[in-house]
Amino acid sequence: MQALKILVVDDDPVTRALLTKRLTKSDYDVDTAETGVVAVEKIGHQFYDVVLTDLMMPGGIDGIGVLEAVKGSHLKTEVILITAHGTISNAIVAMKKGATDYLQKPINFDELIMRLEKIQNWRHLLKNASDLRMAMEITEQTSGETIQNLEMTVADLQARLTAIRDVLERRELAPDERIAMALNG
Amino acid sequence: MSGNLARNTLGATPESAPRPVFQPLPGIRQQVKISPAEIQLLSKYIHGLTGINIEPSKAYLLETRLGKLLENEKCDSYSAFYHKAKADGSKRLDMQIIDAITTNETLFFRDANPFDLLKFKIIPEIIDKRATAASGSLAMPIRIWSAACSTGQEVFSIAIVLRELLGPSPQHNIQLLGTDISDAAIRQASYGAFNKFEIERGLPRDRLQRYFVASGDNWKIKDEIRSMATFRKINLMESINGLGKFDLIFCRNVAIYFTLEDRVKLFNKIADTLTPDGYLIIGSTESLTGVCPRFIPKRHLKSIFYQLR
Ligand SMILES: C[S@@+](CC[C@H](N)C(=O)[O-])C[C@H]1O[C@@H](n2cnc3c(N)ncnc32)[C@H](O)[C@@H]1O
Repeated sequence: MQALKILVVDDDPVTRALLTKRLTKSDYDVDTAETGVVAVEKIGHQFYDVVLTDLMMPGGIDGIGVLEAVKGSHLKTEVILITAHGTISNAIVAMKKGATDYLQKPINFDELIMRLEKIQNWRHLLKNASDLRMAMEITEQTSGETIQNLEMTVADLQARLTAIRDVLERRELAPDERIAMALNG
Repeated sequence: MSGNLARNTLGATPESAPRPVFQPLPGIRQQVKISPAEIQLLSKYIHGLTGINIEPSKAYLLETRLGKLLENEKCDSYSAFYHKAKADGSKRLDMQIIDAITTNETLFFRDANPFDLLKFKIIPEIIDKRATAASGSLAMPIRIWSAACSTGQEVFSIAIVLRELLGPSPQHNIQLLGTDISDAAIRQASYGAFNKFEIERGLPRDRLQRYFVASGDNWKIKDEIRSMATFRKINLMESINGLGKFDLIFCRNVAIYFTLEDRVKLFNKIADTLTPDGYLIIGSTESLTGVCPRFIPKRHLKSIFYQLR
């Protein structure tokens, strides 16, 4: 499967550089944004599998703003928030708004990679499920058409047979008359 | 049990006790196996509860779907589980078996055709008939029933079509009933919340935005749509006389789990529950040929519906 596409959003250049280095080394496809505003713009233009964003950022749009922008445009993007030590209550607010996960600073990279792997596995399962569903829906549609055509044909044939039987049972008519009528429908 | 034996150190196993052939993997629970006799016992029990027919070739379904319940109940065999369920007067286990064994697979606007049929033919026809019939019939409610509504997607799809066709305050009194045998399914339908995977299936963006509100990772159907429907738990294997007559019945993708004999019974009951000029819609891959001659199939554009002869 393709590498997850990750957007790292942080106003601190050192954190951005570190995260980019570590994630690229683990074969993730990384892009960065230095403010919430830039992040929201990028999210509007393209799809990311994961947005990894700092919760507190200057410049009008913070991590919650980024989260809201993601949820408003891409149902399939997962958001992981990075919170400063001691701001768990903010993280809980974020989880309620649909964040997938949160990490505390200083970032433990092994933990981050583990969570991303979980997301990747989860994606993989989802892809399998959605492939299955697609196959099922196509089968359902094509077999549905066949079955419905057969259903109409059978009903039609049954109606014709009933009509033929009715004609053949008309004792007031001569046998060959009945047969002629039955054959002509 | 064999798990305990395996944990004894070598040599500590008494001579007489058979050595387990496989050592269980540490940390991985050993799954309880179901025997052929137990397959029969439980299949019969489940058929009695739900009408669902489990072919012997699908017996693995019992293990995959009931395994967790077995574990919860700390039963070490399927027959122990069966006896526990059977003896349970509160029917708590039966309810859990039903939730586990039913397939609640559904989606919004499943097989689009019936919903176009509803919009362009059935509802306009019913309203027309009411308008031209004797006075007083205008006030007669239009009654619609989704007979195995699962988690509610079918019912809300119908409600959305009605809402778009008739506006926010229709002149007609419409009753929309959704029923299912599964408590868990009815609970979700009643609550009207769907996760992002359920929402993605069959629901176009504009309808999502118009009729749902986001709440956390879920989406909740707006009250104006939710309030159009009523949900109840009903087992289609039991009597459905008490429901009254319906102008339109959706009975889709549930009879496929039943034996032919049970299907015959079900569609006869449904025929009794339909008004004389009412409409029945079944699943797109289902057929009533050889099941219920009281119905005749009719085609309108790309969809099929059934009416009484
Ligand atoms: C596959 S879903 C179909 C949902 C929906 N009608 C559709 O077509 O998308 C089948 C539903 O039938 C319900 N069911 C199974 N046996 C039933 C019974 N005896 N009485 C009522 N509902 C039953 C299950 O709980 C499940 O939710």
